[in-house]
Formats: sequence, structure tokens, C-alpha cells
Amino acid sequence: MQAEQHKIEQQPKHAENVIECQNLSHRYGKRLIYKDLSFSVPRGRILGLLGKNGTGKTTTINILSGYLAPTAGCCTILGYDVRHMPHTMRRHIGLLIEGHVQYQFMNIEQIERFYAAFYPNQWRRDAYYELMRKLRVAPKQRISRMSCGQRSQVALGLILAQNPQLLVLDDFSLGLDPGYRRLFVDYLREYARAEQRTVFLTSHIIQDMERLIDDCIIMDYGRILVQRPVRDLLSLTRSYTCPAPDRFDLKTLDNLNGIYHPELNRGTLEFTATIPLGQIELLLKQRGLEIDALKSRKINLEDAFIGLTGKY
Amino acid sequence: MLKSIILKEWLKTRWYLIFAAIVTIAYSAFLMLRMHRAIDLKGAAHIWEVMLLRDTIFINSLSVLPLLVGLVLALMQFYPEMQRKCLKLTLHLPFSRMQTTLAMLLYGLLALVLCFAMSFILMRLSMQTILPPELIKHVLLSSLPWFTAGIAAYLLGAWVILEPTWKRRIAYILLSALLLRVFFVSDTPEAYNQFMPWLALLTLLCASLSWLSVHRFIDGQQD
Repeated sequence: MQAEQHKIEQQPKHAENVIECQNLSHRYGKRLIYKDLSFSVPRGRILGLLGKNGTGKTTTINILSGYLAPTAGCCTILGYDVRHMPHTMRRHIGLLIEGHVQYQFMNIEQIERFYAAFYPNQWRRDAYYELMRKLRVAPKQRISRMSCGQRSQVALGLILAQNPQLLVLDDFSLGLDPGYRRLFVDYLREYARAEQRTVFLTSHIIQDMERLIDDCIIMDYGRILVQRPVRDLLSLTRSYTCPAPDRFDLKTLDNLNGIYHPELNRGTLEFTATIPLGQIELLLKQRGLEIDALKSRKINLEDAFIGLTGKY
Repeated sequence: MLKSIILKEWLKTRWYLIFAAIVTIAYSAFLMLRMHRAIDLKGAAHIWEVMLLRDTIFINSLSVLPLLVGLVLALMQFYPEMQRKCLKLTLHLPFSRMQTTLAMLLYGLLALVLCFAMSFILMRLSMQTILPPELIKHVLLSSLPWFTAGIAAYLLGAWVILEPTWKRRIAYILLSALLLRVFFVSDTPEAYNQFMPWLALLTLLCASLSWLSVHRFIDGQQD
């Protein structure tokens, strides 16, 4: 009876959100990375975590994959606290470590055989070998002798063969040339959409993210700046330019909600905003600025990211 | 799953294990050959007398070999796990983390015991024709702490390598050096006879230290 209950408990809980993080705080020694971070990832969505270096992306991935105890707060995956998850639940989580790390001393056949034993009834050998056929490597070639691109395909192939409910990918584009990045993104997107899988990922190459993700979280130092579907973010966020008024002081635009990182560039005022034009004009008027020729421009995810987080 | 873990360990260490077995057996054979030659030249009675009266066992140069074999095995087995934090992959497998660590250590221990046992049996068989049973026992018992040191070196090596921070790693190296020194305090044959059960217990306890390092790795400890 107890054994049966144990078995039932180790099934993924069918919660609406596959990942749920509440009031997450972390510090390395005295350095605070972030405080009271809360976010969730709904089932079947692809969420990209964007942020500059040092904002805590890898910290978040490490906490989610159970390799870092947060200073405060807790994270659940498939309904289980990541720190106290039954080990059998890990079969539902595919993990890609930064740099597509895999066992260097194995070849593509050995590594497939190795992992297959851990995922009975769910291992999809064909999915792995389908991807491997695209690589021009001998079956006996060791992973240590492969290029970074080839290694990334091996790592992706293994995750696809594992067929997990959640994929956690840390900086998946690191070290990949455009061809391999595209191959990785296309394969992953197709798989996630077809199988209704949930993906949580980070990358430094935002153009790739735009092709792949449904939702994004943009992190600034110590906090979440934006969390919303990419489509909404891109429809709301615009880049604005106008000639700067005489004796204009940038401090005039300090602490304006919805207006990010105003800059003066050769007499032109530039900023990014997530509020409609009318509201911007109203805010500027309240600060004593009469601007007539405010031009707005649609931007892509990378521009939105830089506009919201600043260049430096 | 256990079979897969063993396969992984074998793939990492197979060439080294073959090399270590050859070196250990070859060196033991060389020492035995020297002993046989000494008996041929000086006569069995003289050699037995020297062994009894001057506390000579003719295999003293073997003493650090098991230690080196154990240390290098730990390096060959656990360094690839720490390379670019590959251990994350191992610990992410849907298998108990403690059992995974234990299986890895057990593999190494069995491999070492097998390697040392071959050398031990070779010496035993080789001495059978030239030494009386009492002297064979005397030589083999004297070498036992060295082989135990090899096993302890392997376990302590695993503890050090799996530790995620350099600060602690250095402290562990110093502590390990002190612990291993215990196995080499006396050169006198059979000096450890009374102490051997305690040395064996100390060695067994060293096995639990690796779990401490793995636990710190899971907690995300870093420099």
C-alpha cells in the first residue's frame, strides 16, 4: 500500500505551471544577486530568460536544476520542490549544461546506450539517431574530438531521445556557428511545439531567442524587469527619437514609468518605451517638455532588450 | 542503471587500469625475480637469516606503488566528472545520487582490490618455492599496509577531486597527506599487525568523505 502510494507520488503533478518560483533570493557571500524573484512557466510554453552578464541567469538555472540552494525562497518543478524532488522525477527534466557538456570519453553509440538504460519506456532512440545522421562523424568518434557544433547536436539529440516534459537549457547558443544555432533552434522549436513540451532557456544570442520563445523574462540587476509573451512585448515596446529641446537635461526624464534609458546622441533624444505615444507625450509634458516630432519605430527583441536594460 | 554506471566508469578508466595492473604485476614480478636471484647467489639459508635477523623483506621499494596507483585511479575516474562540471550530468540521472556515488566508488575499490590481489597472489605463489610459510606470511603481512594505503589514497583522492572549491580542496589535500602518512610511519616489517584492523576501519570511513564533497557540489558551493 505504502509502495503504491510512493509510486503515485512520484508521478509529475499536473499543475498549470510546470515551473513555479516564489520569492527567490540568492547571494554569493555578501553580493546580492537578486531578491524576492517570483515567476512561473506555464505548461507547453517556451520561456527565455534574458539578462546581461551577472544578472543571475545561470544562478537561476542552477537553482532550477537543483545544483544550488537558494538563500531564500523555493522553486517547484512539476509540483515538486527542486531541492527535495524524488530522483525518479528527474527523468521528466532534460538538462543542457552551458557549453553542451557531455561525457567526453564516450562516442555517440556508447553515450546513447548509457543514457537509454536510465529512461526505460520513454527513450526514443530514433530521435537521437535521426539527428546524429546529420553529423558527419563516425559512430566510434569520441565526443572529445568533436567540434562544439557537433557536441551541441549530440547533447540536443540525447535530450530529444529522453523526451522529457521540461527542458532546461543553459546558454544553448554558446560556441555555435550560425548554421548549428539555426539547426538547434529549428529542431528544438519543432519538437517542443509538436510534443507540447515546456522549455526554460537562456542564451546570449537574442536573435535566436526571437525565433524560438513564446514568453520572456528580462532580468536586470537584482530584479525582473519584464515578464510577458514576446509578441506582447514587441507590440508594446517602441524605440523613440526626437530632436532634443534647447538646454535639455537628461535628468528631466529620471524615474518615468514606462520610459527606459533615455540617451542624448548628437542632439537627438533616444529612448525605449513600453507605453503608448499619447501617454509618453503626457508624461513629458508633466516634466515640462514640449516635444512635437517624436518618432516611433518598431523594434526586434534584441533592440527591446538593449532598450530596456541599457547598453552598459 | 547500475550496469550503465559501471560501464561509464569502465570507459573512463579501462586503459589506465590495464596499465596499472601491468605495472603493479610487472614490478612485483621484478621484485620476486630479484629475491630468487639473491637466493641463487647467496643460498636460501643466508637469505632467510638476513630476513629474520635484519628485518629485511626485499620488497620495500613496492611500498609507494599501490599509493600511486590508487591516487592516479581517483584522478582518472573523477577528474573527467569535474571537468566543466560534468558531474551535474551524472547527478541529474534519475537514480539515487547517493547510490550513484557509492557505485562509482565501489567500482574503483573493486578494480583496485583486483589489481592489488593479482600482485599479492603473484608474490605468494612466487615465494612458495623459496621461503618457508612463516616468512611468506611475514613478507605479505608487512606489505598489507601499503596496499591498504593505496585504497585509502584512492578514497581520499576522490574526496579531494569531487570537492567543488579550491580552498577546501587544499585543506583536504593536507589532511589526506597526514592521514596517508599514518600508513608509512614505521619501516619495520609487521609493525602494523596490531593496528591493521584500525587502519582498515579508517580506510573504510574515508569512503564516506566523497559523499560530503558531492553534497557540497549539489549545494552549489564555489570559490
